[in-house]
Amino acid sequence: MNPTGSLCANNWARSSSLVPPGNGLQTNLSLDPSSFFGVGIETPFKEINQPSPTQCVIPGESKKDVKITDQETSKLQDWDPSAMLNNLSFLEEKIHQLQDVVHMIVNKKFQPFEQPRELVTQEQQLITADLTSIIVQLISTAGSLLPSVRNTVANTSPLIGQLSQLRGINLPFGTGTSSGIQPQNNCENKLFDHSIQNDVPNKCEMEQNHNMEEHEHKDEEDMEEGENLPPGSYEILQLEKEEILAPHTHFCTICGKGFKRDANLRMHMRGHGDEYKTPAALAKPHKETGSEPKLIKRYSCPYGGCKRNKDHKKFQPLKTILCVKNHYKRTHCDKSYTCSRCHTKKFSVIADLKTHEKHCGKDKWLCSCGTTFSRKDKLFGHIALFQGHTPAIPLEENKGLAEPPDRCDAKENSTMVGSMNFCFGSNPSSENGIDNMMDVKGNIDDPINYFSSLNFEGCNFGAFNEFSQPPFEDSDSSFSFLMSGSFNYAPKSGGESCSDNL
Amino acid sequence: MLSESVFCLLTEDLLIRILDRVNSDRKSLRLVCKEFHRVESTTRKTIRILRIEFLLGLLQKYCNIESLDLSVCPRIDDGAVSVLLSHGSVNWTRRIKRLVLSRATGLGYVGLEMLIRACPLLEAVDVSHCCGYGDREASALSCAVRLKELNMDKCLGVTDIGLAKIAVGCSKLESLSLKWCLEISDLGIDLLSKKCLELKFLDVSYLKVTSESLRSIASLLKLEVFIMVGCYLVDDVGLRFLEKGCPLLKAIDVSRCNCVSPSGLLSVISGHEGLEQMDARYCLSELSAPLINGLKNLNHLNIIRINGVRVSDFILQIIGTNCKSLVELGLSKCIGVTNMGIMQVVSGCGNLKTLDLTCCRSITDVAISTIANSCPNLACLKLESCDMVTEVGLYQLGLSCLMLEELDLTDCSGVNDIALKYISRCSELVRLKLGLCTNISDIGLAHIACNCTKLTELDLYRCVRIGDDGLAALATGCNKLTMLNLSYCNRMTDTGLKCISNLGELSDLELRAIPNITSIGIKAVAINCKRLANLDLKHCEKINDSGFWALAFYAQNLLQL
Repeated sequence: MNPTGSLCANNWARSSSLVPPGNGLQTNLSLDPSSFFGVGIETPFKEINQPSPTQCVIPGESKKDVKITDQETSKLQDWDPSAMLNNLSFLEEKIHQLQDVVHMIVNKKFQPFEQPRELVTQEQQLITADLTSIIVQLISTAGSLLPSVRNTVANTSPLIGQLSQLRGINLPFGTGTSSGIQPQNNCENKLFDHSIQNDVPNKCEMEQNHNMEEHEHKDEEDMEEGENLPPGSYEILQLEKEEILAPHTHFCTICGKGFKRDANLRMHMRGHGDEYKTPAALAKPHKETGSEPKLIKRYSCPYGGCKRNKDHKKFQPLKTILCVKNHYKRTHCDKSYTCSRCHTKKFSVIADLKTHEKHCGKDKWLCSCGTTFSRKDKLFGHIALFQGHTPAIPLEENKGLAEPPDRCDAKENSTMVGSMNFCFGSNPSSENGIDNMMDVKGNIDDPINYFSSLNFEGCNFGAFNEFSQPPFEDSDSSFSFLMSGSFNYAPKSGGESCSDNL
Repeated sequence: MLSESVFCLLTEDLLIRILDRVNSDRKSLRLVCKEFHRVESTTRKTIRILRIEFLLGLLQKYCNIESLDLSVCPRIDDGAVSVLLSHGSVNWTRRIKRLVLSRATGLGYVGLEMLIRACPLLEAVDVSHCCGYGDREASALSCAVRLKELNMDKCLGVTDIGLAKIAVGCSKLESLSLKWCLEISDLGIDLLSKKCLELKFLDVSYLKVTSESLRSIASLLKLEVFIMVGCYLVDDVGLRFLEKGCPLLKAIDVSRCNCVSPSGLLSVISGHEGLEQMDARYCLSELSAPLINGLKNLNHLNIIRINGVRVSDFILQIIGTNCKSLVELGLSKCIGVTNMGIMQVVSGCGNLKTLDLTCCRSITDVAISTIANSCPNLACLKLESCDMVTEVGLYQLGLSCLMLEELDLTDCSGVNDIALKYISRCSELVRLKLGLCTNISDIGLAHIACNCTKLTELDLYRCVRIGDDGLAALATGCNKLTMLNLSYCNRMTDTGLKCISNLGELSDLELRAIPNITSIGIKAVAINCKRLANLDLKHCEKINDSGFWALAFYAQNLLQL
């Protein structure tokens, strides 16, 4: 938890350092809102929209529509123009909204009476929050272009030097912390930075049109590095859904048979002829260690809006193909494997099922929220942490009352259990009690685990989320829900920056 | 008729005031006067139900009851509760704040939950000695959100889970007794200390908790009384947690905690100078010098009980000179208590009300005289097995300690009829124990009977020289007696029993091994002693079926036989 905490603090410090320009902007805003847009939004938009094949109107700058040329389309092959279009139109809408708000403020200005000060600052905060989210979105949109553009980056400009100096400030952040949480926060820091950097050079020297291309390259590069794990860069690969779900990854070139492991394929190949039996063919394809340092590979989940998807603003890459497979199955697929013991818990990864089956029935400590624990102290820790959670008493009758109405059978089960229990409750001999416990266990597991399966889904989904914000369990899950809707994460970032400002 | 009309003129307020003044005999007032009956039915706050058949009617009659005692209705069960609650017009539960369900073993968790859910204002529940209670009952109890006081003594089945239920459900809890809830462990206590921050009183006696629990308990900022009798797994490490924690601690009881040493106790003392009560019975073998020095700082100390400790005159002198406000001193079974020591301690502590010198065999009349002279307010003196005490010492006691309410002279062979005559001057005596005083006879008993009319408890165990005459005197003089032990008084006969049957308040009677009493005497007792609840007739060989038939028929409140 500690590294997260310190990182958070860093973030705060960072965002507070962000404040001065923001304040400047806000004073600007009070004078003339359109000029505010001119500075705050126009620049990033230009940079990132540049490669877009479509023409984009920047709403903030209603007087000065910016035509975007197709300078670089030729360079970009492997990105999805339609997705980009979607993103951009979403952004456009967003900016329109913001524009309306600012218009409203401007209109209010002309009204005779003064507004209360808090209200004004509140509005300003709101706008800054929205702007931040727009910027972040823009950057992540641009991020999808990266793999294609990276190669084209060749030339540098004096500005880059300036920027790298700026970035230099950033570096200390990532050094001392563990890598588990680092990428995410690091990335965020960079994003913030990025927005500053966008502001800084442009405010200093208002020659945006000049040197546009370098600007763009530099930004893209910066962006790319921002997503990197500590300075060493890595390559983001994204497998397609079908590829992930394919049972086999190694196919025989002769008969087409698929294998999970390359070694098995090689064994299989022996049957196709003597040429495959040579030690060289059977040996592991050796790694080219001697050649230039290989790029670290990291993987992205193809599911849009997922935190493991490279378009996500807090993108956390997956380390191996196996991780991708497991992640994709666990998070975005149906859970088709059901536990043969409790018949309730479902899994999408067979290994998970096996792990569960080892322990199924042993998790006797359960909370009223439905979560089960293998150890009593874990349960009590859980209860101490969350308000209103109590340990559930096995065979408890009121469990049935808490059932959702569509689980009639389970309800019957539990009430039946209750009555049974009532029977032996009248002459409580310990032996008897234990026997009954054992008997009824199977039955009662039903309704309880029905809950817990739900709960676990949430857990899996927001696993890393939970670590960044431990106390807010509920908000956490709702966030992850939001994230699954593509690009709908504005509320969150808005909230964050709001709290930052406060 | 006249009185009734007079009361008709008085306003209700005045009637209530009159009723408040009449403490002892409300019943007769209620029975003879309609007005009083009406007033009492609206103002009565507490009720103790003796027989379940009347429960519903009584509850309907007394609609403002706040405290309901069902402790002598073990027959109440879930069905009865549901009947009680389902009687539509009854909203007696609305006002109930206190429920005493002690020994109400018939009640299951279903009924308990119904009952508790029906009482929205419930603040105190006593389910002590409901041995069968477990987590499910605890979970039912946890429905009482406003609960402040809970006594769960000897609810054997309650585990950490049940305690967690209560801790989460009843977060306003101020007083909790978990004595003998043997299944509860550190985990439960830890959770309790995290959830119930209002706790002022906590009793974890005889639990298998370790010092870890004390670490959690130390975080309870409002705790005033902490009792951990017989927690043999707690050691000095745990007590050291308390040194820094529980800033308001006023009373601590570490009796029978075998692993506690003087240094552990010292750490508690040094952290809490406002300590008022310290119990360390049978856990220390002797008091160390630092601990004695620590005692010097406890100026507010009211109660010290260090039973079973080796003490010296020096220690008693320290206590006497420093703990001036001492009200109770327990030196029972202490080794090394001498006349000198006692004289030193009582000369300093003039306010002593309770002094326990059980089994301090070496003290003599000199000590008793000094006690009597120094402590005029003495209310309770226990001198069991102090053989050297004779009428000489008790003479002074009878002169000076007129406030004495309780006197234990069990096994003091020096007590004779003359001594009893002196004692009888303490007219406030409520409890008197004369067991094994073989030298007393009917004459001495007559002295007591004449003067100590407030006596409610009398123990004459194995006073073999007591006969029917003494009992006759007793029956006329001490008619408030509720407990009487006559076991092995083998000279008494049915005549004596008939005298006893005049004691209308009698609830506990022990007649063990009295060879001469028969069914006739028992029948008389059964008919007249309406409140008889406990009767011991073991080894009374002449009592036959007719006696028991009489008991069964007449003694309707009998609980134990």
